[in-house]
Amino acid sequence: MTPTPPATPLLSVSALRKSFRGTPVLKDVYLDVAKGEVVALIGPSGCGKSTLLRCLTWLDPPDDGFILIDGQPFGRALVGDTVRRQGRREIDRLRPKIGMVFQQLHLWPHLSALENVVRPQVVVLKRPREEAVARAQDLLAGLGLGGLEDRFPYALSGGQKQRAAIARALAMDPALMLFDEPTSALDPELVGGVLQLLRRLAGEGMTMVVVTHEIGFAAHVADRIAFMDGGRIVEDGPARQVMEAPADPRLAAFLDLIRSGRPAA
Amino acid sequence: MTFDPAILADYWPLFLQGAWLTVRICAVAFIVGYSIGILVALAALVPSRIVRALVGAYVGLLRSVPFIIILFLVYYGLPFAGIRFPAYVTGTLALALFASAYYAEIVRGAILSLPRGQFESARTVGMSPLQAMRHVVFPQILRGLVPPSVNMTLTMIKESAVLSSITVAELTYQSLVVQGNTFAPFEAFAAVTLIYWAITVVVARLAAILEARTGTAEREDVERNALAASFLTLEAPKRR
Ligand SMILES: Nc1ncnc2c1ncn2[C@@H]1O[C@H](COP(=O)(O)OP(=O)(O)OP(=O)(O)O)[C@@H](O)[C@H]1O
Ligand SMILES: [Mg+2]
Repeated sequence: MTPTPPATPLLSVSALRKSFRGTPVLKDVYLDVAKGEVVALIGPSGCGKSTLLRCLTWLDPPDDGFILIDGQPFGRALVGDTVRRQGRREIDRLRPKIGMVFQQLHLWPHLSALENVVRPQVVVLKRPREEAVARAQDLLAGLGLGGLEDRFPYALSGGQKQRAAIARALAMDPALMLFDEPTSALDPELVGGVLQLLRRLAGEGMTMVVVTHEIGFAAHVADRIAFMDGGRIVEDGPARQVMEAPADPRLAAFLDLIRSGRPAA
Repeated sequence: MTFDPAILADYWPLFLQGAWLTVRICAVAFIVGYSIGILVALAALVPSRIVRALVGAYVGLLRSVPFIIILFLVYYGLPFAGIRFPAYVTGTLALALFASAYYAEIVRGAILSLPRGQFESARTVGMSPLQAMRHVVFPQILRGLVPPSVNMTLTMIKESAVLSSITVAELTYQSLVVQGNTFAPFEAFAAVTLIYWAITVVVARLAAILEARTGTAEREDVERNALAASFLTLEAPKRR
């Protein structure tokens, strides 16, 4: 076998900055994620994890810095040596490539579980309806929601809602999935199921960035752990190494705090 | 003085014509006004400061001026711009502009009352802002729009009486004509009262039917109301 040349990362973030009213929240974030890689993003409350995910989708436009999805510039492009901000249409066109599962899920309550998954395919990807329905039924069944297609979100349990939201994102055939604390809104007995699901997605080769306080997930599912503090990624490495031999004292303190079983900060 | 129903027997065609014109004017003013209102509400939400300032001025101005002044401004202002419309067109236009400012505020408030995450999740899957409005935001706010919109529409119907001052032969104008011809003001105005009342009853009924049909947000309401009810009865809401 010939050694494979280093592929371009699926997600490449460089020098990303974001301030809210003059208060810097992201200060020069760098992050590369290879195809098929699962990165757990951890860090104390308020360090900017959610803001980073929101900037990656351009829900909050980053003030500065570049995002490349599969080599394609997203939001801001370097043309020659001038920075060009992309128009709304250009940004919208790449958005389906990034599946985002919000902490609060934000399912659409006026649509059934099935329609939550079908509508974006039809509206955004212009899929014929039958095809979109078939895809949605496949996904929902695969996520254990078979038979619940016609339920409205209010009639789904927390764990079922979560899986419906994941199905909605997956239906767009994203190249990258972002999860913001996928287990924090769930009852403890449901956490295991979601982690298993994420593990399965990882096994299927999905590239993922998962903000989490589940140290077990970080240790056993993630390939890499990125630790954020004060708006920067201050440590980033193979999961085992980061867990067992944290180099940064802030990371060591953070891991101690989480392992001591105190409510995740 | 005696109440003389014979007057109404003689003049009912005039009342009918007036009522019919009032209905048509208000229907058109509603459609035009609501359309402008929705556009203005959407414009009020775009990021551009200039657009928002213009929209703020439009709504603020129209809401701070009595309708009769708006009417006169349009009536005497249009000829300055070289535009000549029949009085009923001018009147309908003024009525639509007047109502549009209030409709815009109703729609804008309803959009803002929806959790931001609803719009944002639609945007992250790649919907344009308008697609997100069409597929996610509006279906959820529609039902809540009905009661305040009905209120405003009833107000507008009543304000349409002011069009009589620019000689639009609507209901109030006809009642003045009858009163002038017969010197029986009480009979004339009593008849008009009944007709306005009938019109508003019909509008309110139509709205109630519409509200019952737009059952989209209903299902979540079930949950919200259960929660509200449990607070009102001071029971601890069951943890889901
Ligand atoms: N829209 C906003 N306007 C102003 N400040 C904001 C906004 N969003 C986030 N912030 C601030 O940015 C900082 C980072 O917030 P963020 O939500 O990204 O933290 P986080 O790491 O996700 O925390 P948590 O673990 O509690 O979810 C916080 O100090 C927060 O107050
Ligand atoms: Mg967060």
